Amino acid sequence: MANLTTCLTLFFLCYGLCSAVYEDQVGKFDWRQQYVGKVLFAHFDSHSQAAKKLILATDKNIVASLNSRTGELFWRHVDKVGPEGHIDTLLFHGQDAVVMAGNGRLLRSWESNIGALNWEMVLDTGSFQAAILAGTQDSVKFVAVLKKAVLSLHYLSNGHQKWVETLPDSDTVQYQAVYSSGGSQLFVLGVVPYSHLSIIAFNIEDGEIMSQRSVAAPWVSKVQARCGVVDQGVLLCVDATTLSLYMLPLNSEEPAELQQVPLQSLDLELASGYQPVLLTTQPNPARPPLAQFFLQLGPDHHVLLQLSDGLISPLRDFQPAFLVSFATAGEKTVAAVLSPKNETVSAKAGGVVAETVHPFLHFFLMHCFIVLLLDHAYDLQASSVSLYSADSGRRLLDTTVTVHLDPNGGKPEKLYVHAFLKKDDSVGYRLLVQMEDHTLTFLQQPGRVVWSREEALADVVTMEMVDLPLTGTQAELEGEFGKKADGLAAMVLKRLSSQLILLQAWIAHLWKLFYDARKPRSLVKNEVTIETLARDEFNLQKMIVMVTASGKLFGIDSKSGTVLWKHYLHDVQPNSVFKLMVQRTTAHFPHPPQCTLLIKDKETGLATLHVFNPIFGKKSHVTPPALSRPVLQSLLLPLMDQDYSKVLLLIDDEYKVTAFPSTKHVLQQLQEMASSIFFFLVDSSQGRLSGFRLRKARELSLTDLSTELIWEVVIPPEVQKIVAVKGKRASEHVHSQGRVMGDRSVLYKYLNPNLLAVVTESVDTHQERSFVGVFLIDGITGRIIHEAVQRKARGPIHLVHSENWVVYEYWNAKSRRNEFSVLELFEGTELYNSTVFSSLDRPHLPQVLQQSYIFPSSISTMEATLTEKGITSRHLLVGLPSGAILSLPKMFLDPRRPEVASEQSREENLIPYAPEMPIRTEWFINYNQSVSRVKGIYTAPSGLESTCLVVAYGLDIFQTRVYPSKQFDVLKDDYDYVLISSVLFGLFFATMISKRLAQVKLLNRAWR
Amino acid sequence: MRLRRTVAPWWCFLHSVFALALGFGDMEPGPQTSGERFRIEGRALVHGVRLQDWISTAHVLVEGEEHVGFLKTDGSFAVNDVPPGSYVVEVVSPTYRFEPVRVDITSKGKMRARMVNYIKTSEVVRLAYPLQMKSTGPHSYFLKRETWGWTDFLMNPMVMMMVLPLLIIVLLPKVVNTNDPEMRREMEQSMNMLNPNHELPDVSEFMTKLFSKSSGKSGGGGKGGKSGAVKRSWKRTLRGFSQQDFDQTLA
Repeated sequence: MANLTTCLTLFFLCYGLCSAVYEDQVGKFDWRQQYVGKVLFAHFDSHSQAAKKLILATDKNIVASLNSRTGELFWRHVDKVGPEGHIDTLLFHGQDAVVMAGNGRLLRSWESNIGALNWEMVLDTGSFQAAILAGTQDSVKFVAVLKKAVLSLHYLSNGHQKWVETLPDSDTVQYQAVYSSGGSQLFVLGVVPYSHLSIIAFNIEDGEIMSQRSVAAPWVSKVQARCGVVDQGVLLCVDATTLSLYMLPLNSEEPAELQQVPLQSLDLELASGYQPVLLTTQPNPARPPLAQFFLQLGPDHHVLLQLSDGLISPLRDFQPAFLVSFATAGEKTVAAVLSPKNETVSAKAGGVVAETVHPFLHFFLMHCFIVLLLDHAYDLQASSVSLYSADSGRRLLDTTVTVHLDPNGGKPEKLYVHAFLKKDDSVGYRLLVQMEDHTLTFLQQPGRVVWSREEALADVVTMEMVDLPLTGTQAELEGEFGKKADGLAAMVLKRLSSQLILLQAWIAHLWKLFYDARKPRSLVKNEVTIETLARDEFNLQKMIVMVTASGKLFGIDSKSGTVLWKHYLHDVQPNSVFKLMVQRTTAHFPHPPQCTLLIKDKETGLATLHVFNPIFGKKSHVTPPALSRPVLQSLLLPLMDQDYSKVLLLIDDEYKVTAFPSTKHVLQQLQEMASSIFFFLVDSSQGRLSGFRLRKARELSLTDLSTELIWEVVIPPEVQKIVAVKGKRASEHVHSQGRVMGDRSVLYKYLNPNLLAVVTESVDTHQERSFVGVFLIDGITGRIIHEAVQRKARGPIHLVHSENWVVYEYWNAKSRRNEFSVLELFEGTELYNSTVFSSLDRPHLPQVLQQSYIFPSSISTMEATLTEKGITSRHLLVGLPSGAILSLPKMFLDPRRPEVASEQSREENLIPYAPEMPIRTEWFINYNQSVSRVKGIYTAPSGLESTCLVVAYGLDIFQTRVYPSKQFDVLKDDYDYVLISSVLFGLFFATMISKRLAQVKLLNRAWR
Repeated sequence: MRLRRTVAPWWCFLHSVFALALGFGDMEPGPQTSGERFRIEGRALVHGVRLQDWISTAHVLVEGEEHVGFLKTDGSFAVNDVPPGSYVVEVVSPTYRFEPVRVDITSKGKMRARMVNYIKTSEVVRLAYPLQMKSTGPHSYFLKRETWGWTDFLMNPMVMMMVLPLLIIVLLPKVVNTNDPEMRREMEQSMNMLNPNHELPDVSEFMTKLFSKSSGKSGGGGKGGKSGAVKRSWKRTLRGFSQQDFDQTLA
C-alpha cells in the first residue's frame, strides 16, 4: 500500500515538473539533421528515368536510401558499431539491395521501397573476399559470396543457399575475386603471390568444379584493382614492375600462358612509383562485361582502352583526369568529361579512335563512361564533366556540364553516375561526387548542384557554442561603458548620440518591416548569412562550432541549423584527438573572437594548434607556438593578456610549460601567479594521478616555465583501471550556497571548484568480483575527499559532475540492470569560510550522501543543463539508445529523498524514495525526432535564465531549448493576449457604463 | 546504498522451483561464454496500421545497443549472434510504443521470454517465445495546452468567491424589504453582533472615504444617511462571506 501511495505521489509530481514539448512547438525552436557517414558504396535506382532513389552504404555501418531530388533520407538503418556491423559490400538489383555485413557473417537483402528486410541469412564465419550477383539466361538470380576458403551461392529471392563448396588449397592460395558472365560457369580467381594465379570454374547449378588450373605469374601480388575481366571472359592484369598488361582467356580449356602486352607498345607511360589501377565494367551481371576498360596510369592520368579480336588498343587518353566511372543506360552511346573550365577539352585523342561500332556491343545496351577531369593545379572551383561514348571514345554533344566544387573540400574521391535516356534518345545523366572531406554533391545536367550533404558531420568529435557578435549599434552602446569617463558634458553628449543612433536604427527597422509587409510573403527572404548575423535580444541564437573526426570544422547557426562556414584541415591524421577552446569570446568588441583547436596525434602525441575566428571560420593571423614535444595536458587559464585572450598552457612530456599567447605581459603575470596555478595529469595505464604546480623562475628569465610535483595518488592498475576523470565546468554558476531544510535550518553545499571525480573499473570482469569505484579528489592538494565502491557492477560508466553532486550510471551485473547513483556533498549546517573557497584551508571533510536508483534503460550519454546564473533547477539530459533524449529532473536524483514522507520532507519538496526511476515519453525533449548513436550532449546557457540551449550530436545533430523550471522569465508563447486585452477593455467599459448609471441613479435619488 | 537494501530480500526470494524445473538454473549472464551464439526471433505488430508506414523507422535493440536486429517486410525479426545470457529485447519505433521483454538463453540454446521486472529481477512471468511484440499504442510526446473555456473560468474558486456575493448583493435587497423598519433593526443588530467594536477604524472604509472624496462632488448629498449605512453593512457581510470561503478552501 505504501508503495502504491509513493507511486501515486510520484505520478502527480511528474506532471508538476515536467518540461515537455507542446505539439505546436514542433520545429519551432528545434531542428534535427540526419547523416549517414562516409559513403563506401552507392547505387542509383536506375529502374526508370523518374527514379529518385539512391542506396548508400557507409563506414558508419549504415544502409540508407536518399531522395536524389532533395538529398533527404527516405530511410536509414543503423547497425551496431564496430567490425560486427561493418558493411563489406552492397549490391543492387531491381528493388533489392543486397548487403554483406560483419566480415561475411550476415547476408541481408533490403527492400529499397519500404526500407525493411526481405531476408537475412547468417553465413559461417570466414574472412570475406568478394560478392557478386550472378545469373543465367539474362536474368539475375543468385548472389555468389567468396570467402577465404568457401564459395557459396544464394538465391536472390529468398537468400537460401543453393550450394556451398570449399575451395581447394585455401591455405596457400588467396582467393580474391569471383566472376560470372551469365553462363553456366562461375570463376574464382586465386593468387599465390609472386608465383602463380589459380583459376577455378564452378558449375553454377550444382557447385561442381568444372576446371581448375594454375597459370604462372611471378609478378602477381593481388587481384583487386590490378586484374579484371573484359569482353567474353578475358582476364586482364596490369603490373607496375614489368610495365605490362597480361591477358588470359578464362574459357579456354588448355592451361595457356598469360599473354604479355608491354605498355610501351601501346604508347603508354606509367607515372613513376604509381600502382596502376584497372577498371572494368559489367553493366548486367547476367551478361559478359564490356570490351572497354580504364587504366589509371597516374594520379590524374586515365586511358580508355579496348580489347578487340585479341588486341588491346587505346581509345582515348585523359590527362588530367582524377576520377573515371562507368555508367549504364538505355540504347544510345554517349559520354561525359569534367575538365577545368577555361580549357575546352583537356583530353587528347589517343592512338586509334575506333570509328566502327564494336562487334561485341551488338546488344542494345548503351555504355557510357564518365571521366571526371579535374585539374588541381589550375582551378578546382570550376571543372566540367562530359560524357564520352564508350565504344568510340568520342565526346557527345551537349553533355558538358560546369561543376563548381568547394575548393576547400580537398580532392574528389569518388564519382557515381546515373545515366538515363531522355525522350529524344539523347543521354542525360546525374552525378554524385564524393569529396575528400566526405561531402556528397549531387549534380544535374545544366550544371546545377541539386543538393549537397556534409557527411563529415556524422562524426562530430567536439563542439562549442560561441555568442554571436553585437551589431554596430549595439557595439557602439557597449563601447560607451567600456571607455573611461572624460567629463560630464562629453558623457552626456555621447549618451545622447548613442540614443540617437538607436532611434535611427529603430526607425530603419520599422521602415523595413513596413516595406516588407507590402511585398508578397514569398519574396521576403529570411535567410541567415554570415553578414546578417547578430546577437538577438536574449542571446538565444549562437554559433555552433563543430569539429569532426575527418578534420573538417563547421560553423552552424543554432537557430536554423544552416552551415555558415566550413573549413577543412587537410593535414589532420585520421586518429587525432581534438580539443576545442574559446580563448576570446565576442565580448571584447574591437578584438575578434578567437578559438583554438588542439589537434593531437594519438600515436606520437605531437600536437598542433589551429587558431581561428569562430564566427567566420577564418584562420587567425596569430601564429601559435610550435610544439616540438608531445603534449600531455592543456589548460585554459582565466588569466588574460592585453588583447583579452585567455592564456592557454600546454604541458609537454618533460613537464615544461608553453604559454599561448606568450607575450611579455602574460609571462610576467604567470610568474606572479605561479604559486596558485595548479594542474593535474592522469596516467591511466599506471593508475597514477599527479598534481603539479607552476614553478617560479629563479632568475629573471621569464620564458622558462617549469613545474613541480605537488601530490601523487596511485590507484593500483592490477586491481582497477581509471576510466574517467571529470572536473566541473568552469562556466558553471551556482546560485544558492545551501538548501533550506524543513526545520528552517540551512544545509550548506560543499562547493569545491577543484574537485575531481575519478571513476575506476575493476580489471577482473567476473560478475561476482567486478566493481566500480568513484573517488572524489581535490585537484589542488590531492586529498581524497570521498570514496565509493559499487560492488558487482561494471561499466560503461557515464558521469556528470556539477555543483555539489556527482551522478553516475553503471551496469549492475548481478541484477542485470542499469543503475544511477548520486553523491551529494554538504559542508553541514555551518559554513567554514563563506567568502572564499580554498582547497588548502578546509579542515573538515564534507558530509557525503548517496542514493541509488534503477534506471529502466541503458544510456548512451549524459549531461546536465546549464543556465546563466544557476537559479533554474537542474535537469539531467540522458541520451538513450532508442534515440530519445530524456530530460530527467535532478529532483529525482536527490540522496535526501526519504523512505517515508514526513512533514518536513514534504515541506522541502522531497519526493519519497522509489527504487525505479520513471521514463516518461513526455520528457523526451526530441519527441519523435530520434537521434541515433548520441555521442555527446552539449549544453550552453542563454541570456534568459530559464532557458538552456542543448545540442545533441552523434550520427545526427539535434538542437533545442529546454526550460527546466518552465519559462518563468518570459511570457509563454501561448500567452493569450486576446483574452487579457478583451478582459481589460471589458472592465474599462464596464466601469464607464456603471459610472454613468451610478450618476443617473444618484441624480434620481437627489430629485426624489 | 538504499537500493541494495531494498532489493536484497527480493533477490533471496528466488523463484528457484520454477527456474530449476525449466532448466534455467545454470544461467550465466554476460558475454564470457564466447562459444555458441544464438538467435532471438519474434514478430512486431501495430494493430490497425500498415506495415510499411512504420517499419522503416523501427528496429530491434537487445540490451541497449549491444545487438541490433531489423524488421522484415512481414514484421518478423531475428537478432543473430547473441551469446547465452539474459537480455532485454525492445522494439524501438519513434511513433509506436512497445513493451520490452526479457529473453533468457541458456548455454545450450534454450530460450524463454518473460516480463521485464527490474525490481524483482528473478520473478518469472512467462511470455510467448518466439516473441510477440504488440504495440501498446502511439507514444504521447506532447503536453496538452491549457485551453481557456468559460466553464474553467466560472468554476475557478476565486471567481466563485467574487460572483456569489455579488449575486447576493443584487438579489437579497429585492427579496428582503429594506424599507421595513423592523427588518432593518434586526439586520443592524446582527451586524453589531458580527462586528462588536465600532471604534476600530476600518481600513477599507478609510480607503473608500479617501477615494470617494473627489468623486463625492458629483454624487451630491445623496450619499449620506441610510443608504450609506446599508451599503456598509452589506460590505461587511461580503467580507464575512469571503472570509468563510477562504477558510473552506484552506481546509
